[in-house]
Parts: sequence; C-alpha cells; structure tokens
Amino acid sequence: MNNDNTLSKPYLLGADDLTPQDVKLIFDKAQFFMDNFKRGEKFSDLKGITVALAFFEPSTRTKLSFELAAKRLSADSISFASSSSSLTKGESLIDTLRTIEAMNVQMYVVRHVNSGVPLFLQTNTNGVILNAGDGKHEHPTQALLDAFTLYKHFGKLQGLKVCIAGDILHSRVARSNITLLRTMGADVALCSPGTLLPRHLNIWDLPILENIDAAVEWADVLLVLRLQRERMESGLLPSIREFSKFYGVSFEQFSRKPELVLMHPGPVNYGVELDYRVSSYPNCLIQTQVTHGVFIRMALLSLLSKFV
Amino acid sequence: MNHFFKNIRVIEPAAGIDAKVNLWVKDGIIMHCSAEEANIDSSTQIINADNLVAAPGLFDMHVHLREPGEEYKESIKTGTDAAANGGFTGVVCMPNTSPCIDDVTVVEYIKEKSKGLLTDVKIAAAITQKREGKLISPMLELNDAGVVYFTDDGSAVEASEMMRRAFDYSSTHDLMIAQHCEDHSLTKGFAMNETVLSYKLGLKGYPNVAEEIIVDRDIRLSKLSGNRRYHVSHISTKGALELVKSAKDSGLRVSCEVTPHHFTLTDELMVTYNTDLKMNPPLRANDDRDAIIEALKNGTIDCIATDHAPHALHEKEVEFEKAPCGIIGLETSLGLTLTNLYHAGHLSLVEIIKLMSVNPRRLLNIPEVKIEKGINANLTIFAPDEEWIVNKSNFKGLSKNTPFDGYKLKGKPKYAINNNLIHESYL
Repeated sequence: MNNDNTLSKPYLLGADDLTPQDVKLIFDKAQFFMDNFKRGEKFSDLKGITVALAFFEPSTRTKLSFELAAKRLSADSISFASSSSSLTKGESLIDTLRTIEAMNVQMYVVRHVNSGVPLFLQTNTNGVILNAGDGKHEHPTQALLDAFTLYKHFGKLQGLKVCIAGDILHSRVARSNITLLRTMGADVALCSPGTLLPRHLNIWDLPILENIDAAVEWADVLLVLRLQRERMESGLLPSIREFSKFYGVSFEQFSRKPELVLMHPGPVNYGVELDYRVSSYPNCLIQTQVTHGVFIRMALLSLLSKFV
Repeated sequence: MNHFFKNIRVIEPAAGIDAKVNLWVKDGIIMHCSAEEANIDSSTQIINADNLVAAPGLFDMHVHLREPGEEYKESIKTGTDAAANGGFTGVVCMPNTSPCIDDVTVVEYIKEKSKGLLTDVKIAAAITQKREGKLISPMLELNDAGVVYFTDDGSAVEASEMMRRAFDYSSTHDLMIAQHCEDHSLTKGFAMNETVLSYKLGLKGYPNVAEEIIVDRDIRLSKLSGNRRYHVSHISTKGALELVKSAKDSGLRVSCEVTPHHFTLTDELMVTYNTDLKMNPPLRANDDRDAIIEALKNGTIDCIATDHAPHALHEKEVEFEKAPCGIIGLETSLGLTLTNLYHAGHLSLVEIIKLMSVNPRRLLNIPEVKIEKGINANLTIFAPDEEWIVNKSNFKGLSKNTPFDGYKLKGKPKYAINNNLIHESYL
C-alpha cells in the first residue's frame, strides 16, 4: 500500500504510526494547502465523505481546527460533544460508535479522556480513525503541527535540540512530540519536576535538564507544556510559586538567548509556566502553531481519505 | 454412569503413587485400582486410557462465583460447571459478593445452592464486615459454619491496626488469613503494571512495591501475633516472592498462590489495550515472571489458583481505563499449567498435581483426596500431551473474559469425577 503519496497506515492513532516518509508527505501536503489557500475557496479532497468530529472530551482549539480543515476540504461533517450526547444517558462508547457508523460516516476524529480509545475504536470499525488526543497517551496532530512549525522555521529537524518542559507525566503532547521528533532525528531533552516525570519512567532514556536555566542554555527550542491546576490539589507540587521559580520560563531567560525558539500547545497559563511578556517575543511561535494546525489537519484528512 | 479407565497412569503424590493401573469407578466409588484386570459389569463404559493421567481432583482456592448479587456475571451453577469442565472438583469462592460473605446467613445460602454439584464449593469469608476494613467479621461463627479461610479479596485490609486485630482475634482458632496485597494509596486509578511502558501508553501504573509493602507488613504482623497462618493471594512480584521465601525460611507459617496468567503473560502485551488483559494485580515484567517460575520450582509458591473473575461482555467492551479488573481462568488453568510448566520443562506432573490439588487442600486443612479401592472417587483425569486450541465459545462459564482464546495449549482436562457425578470436558 505504501507508495510515494500514500501514508503507511490507514489511520493515525499515535506518532509511532508515522515514518519519516509519512511525515515528509504530510508536510508537503500541508505546504501545498498553505500555498494554494485563498480566502473563501475550497478544495474538494473530501467531497462526498462524512467526517465525525467525535469529541468525547471538551476541546476548543483542536476541535475548531479540525472543523475548519474538514470544511475547507468540502467534507460533510457531524459534530459530537460528550456533554450533549446520550453518553450522559449511559450509552456505551461502543454503542455510540455503532450509531454513528450506521449513519454512513467514513472518518472519525476522536478526542477522549481515556488513553487507548482510538485503538479501541479502530479495532471495532471499518472507518478511518484519526486521534485528536486520548487521555495521557498521544496527540499526534499536535506533534505534527509542532514539527511542521519547527521545520518551517529552521529548514530542518535533524539535529535540532528540543527541550520539552513542564508536566511530562500527564502530557499526551509530550509523548507524541518525543516520538515524532526522534523519528525525524531531532535531539530531545526533558525538564520537569521529579513528580511530573518520575525518573525511572523515562522510557526513552532522554537527558533530563534539572531546571529551566539549564534548558535555556542547552536548547534551540523550548516546548513548554501547560501545567494543570489540579496537579497542586493532588499534591504533586508544593506550590505554583515554586514551580514557576524552577520550571517556568521568564522574560529574563529569553533576553539572554534571543535566538531561542519557544512553543506551547496552548492554552497557556501565563504567570505559571510562561511569563506573559514572552508572548510578544518574535521567536515565540504559539500563534504560528495554531495557523499551521489547520493546514496539517487538512493534509492528514486528505491523505487518510484515500483509505475510505 | 460407570467407567473403566483401562491402563491409566495414576499419580497420587501424598501416597507416593505413580503407576499404570486399571481404574474402575462405579456408582461414584473406586471399585478397582490396580494393574490387574477387573471384573467389570455390563453397565460400565470402557475407556482406553493409555494417554491419560488420573490425579486427586484439582482444587482451586481462589474463585469468584459472583453469587449472591452478580448472577449476570456468573453463578454458583455456571461457575462450578466451568470448574468441572476445567477439571476442578473443588473450589473456594470469594466473599466480595452482594451481600458480602461476612455473615452465616450468606454462608448457608451458598451451601444450599452448592448441594448436588460435582464440584465442591468451599467458602472464604471476609476479614472485616462488608469488606470495609473497619469492624472485624464474626470469624468464629463463620468458621463453625465451615468457612475455610478469611480474606477481603478485591482489596486489602488497609489499616495495619485492623490487620493486627484480625490476626489476634483469629488466633484462638488458628484461622487462616489471606490478603489481596495492595497499598491502595499507591495504586489509585491504576490500569496496568508501572513500567516505562505504562508511561508510554498513558496509563496509571501499579508499582511492584505497592504489593510488597503489604506483604512485608503482614508478615511482620503475623509474626507479632504469634506466628499466625498467613496466605498471600495471587502473588505477582519478584520482591514479594523474596519476602515470602525469607519468611518461610525463618519458620513463619506463610504461604502463597500464583495465577496461571501471571506465570504465562507479561505486561508487554498491554500495547493492545485489550481489556481481557486487565487484572489486579496486573501482568508484571519478565523478571517477575521468571521469579515466579523459579519460586514454583523451589517451593516458595504453595499452589496455583486462578482468581477466576468473570465480568460480562458489556462491562469489558469499554474504554480500557474504565474496564473492571479480572479474567476467568477455570477452563484454561490446567492447560496453561501443563503447557508452561510441565512441557516447558520446569516441573514434573507430580509437582504440578501437588500445586493444583494436594497443597491447597492441605493449606486449608481439607481432608486429603486419595485414590484407592473402596473410597469415593474424587478424580481429575487429563491428557497431558493432547494439543488443543482454546475456544472460549466452548466454555461453560457464563462470562468469557479470557485473553487466551485461540491459544494453542498442550495438556487438556478430560473428566472430572466427584460426588457420584462425572463430567466429560468439552473444550
């Protein structure tokens, strides 16, 4: 099945599914959409295909991004949110899938609070599953748009020094990014408090930088993760103040190394993991990530629609 | 139904018997058991048993029959049907029922429901009332009603003081206390073993130490209370086995059991997010599995028990993290044991029969099962070399939550005989 313009797998469940050739194909396609996109015009790649945006967990930016991507490709789409669905009436996930499937839906963009759900659905459907974030497991489209952003900024990924900082333990963005960046030959390091990255669970045996100063010094790119407030409540951290002091990115650190590139999957907790003044810094690529997100998702929907 | 097993190999480890005989069971009684020909009558079916072994009936000391309360998962009838089909003539049912087995009334209900079945149902009762860890259950009265041991299985007795009280209180009658060893504060929300893989899969891990902390604590408490009988249920880690071994070496009355899935499978399989691989304790690492096999060989592990834990399909066919823990085991136990321990060259048939029949009864002070002329037949007859493929649709149990469907096994149960009943295995 694998040839020059086909992905190696008929789904996207995790970053492990992607070969370097796949990534190149996705980047090329995203670039194509970027170059040819004019306001108001649509592509017809998904004409006649129905996409279910099955967001079993609340999401704003990812859902909007996929919605827009599907629309720009002329797909029919149905939208699904857990709070307004019959899941609240006790319907099981598998039954919900069968219900949507019976309406002749061919592609599923899935977001779910539990790890492994996209694989569970994929084994139970003939449709194409695209993981839009599952529990603490994977968020591969985020990793792709991050890598695309870096690729466009640096012109390469090979040898790029990327440090992922913050709540590694609970982050699906971290997991997908680590896998994808390594696939593409980048050097990855981590920076995280001991409770948010138990050192014996460092599966990739990646270097760990002990504080954000060390990370700034080492890295070409800092990928900063969102710190959830509930980490404090569950006792994993003593205080926001202490976290910010050791693991938050300050304006001063950026001023010391202006060429450092900063990314964040959003939404940002300014004042916690990131100084607000950093957001207007030229090498802060947070908005660029969002823009690229739509084109990356268009590319994926287009490439995966060949398996419908 | 009377049966004559011609030229069968009888293994009865307690008596040191391992011989080829002709075995005649008539009206539930062993009429003939020797190498000589027997004068069988015309009502007897003759079975050529050249390739079969007869052993004292297998006994599983850790089974969830789900009755009363969750008969949609399993019942005493369907669970014992599964047991007989897997070659078991005796099981111990666990107390995490609804209502909980913490009262003589429930014990009497189960005894009533178990009458007339091939497989004997022995009963384990809760250590604490409603398994809440707060008040001790009426252990003496439950013991008088025939309860064979005590456990809050499904969860551990959390407070050390409560556990100490259980040992102290039961000491007057020298009762056995078993523990599901889990430090719940370390395992809250777990879905699998804690390893680098659990991290990668985004699943909360259950570290080995959460088991070992409780094993260590309980061994110390059992010693403090005057060397009480203490049993570690479904042991799964290398460290826990080391603790049990050293306790045994120092003369403490500590015992443990292991499940077939823990000596067969490891946590690497979790990449499939298959809910039929989700259990408590979880599948562990290769190191642990190796240590389990070593412990089966050196006698640290006293017996094999399945922790047969039926769940309905609609409960298991869900998001991995939401699925309940547990798999069924009665109908694959003997096959997995023979395949992975006997044919893999780790244990002899005699040793396996000790682990699956002799030892668990001995631990629980249940009379030994003999194979000799003139006594009631309580037998498991199996084909040690027969190859078969597990097909869960043949199972007699109500729930089919097994990860072993489609597995190729060598060694198969053929007949279970007990209480003047015979069941020919259909697997």
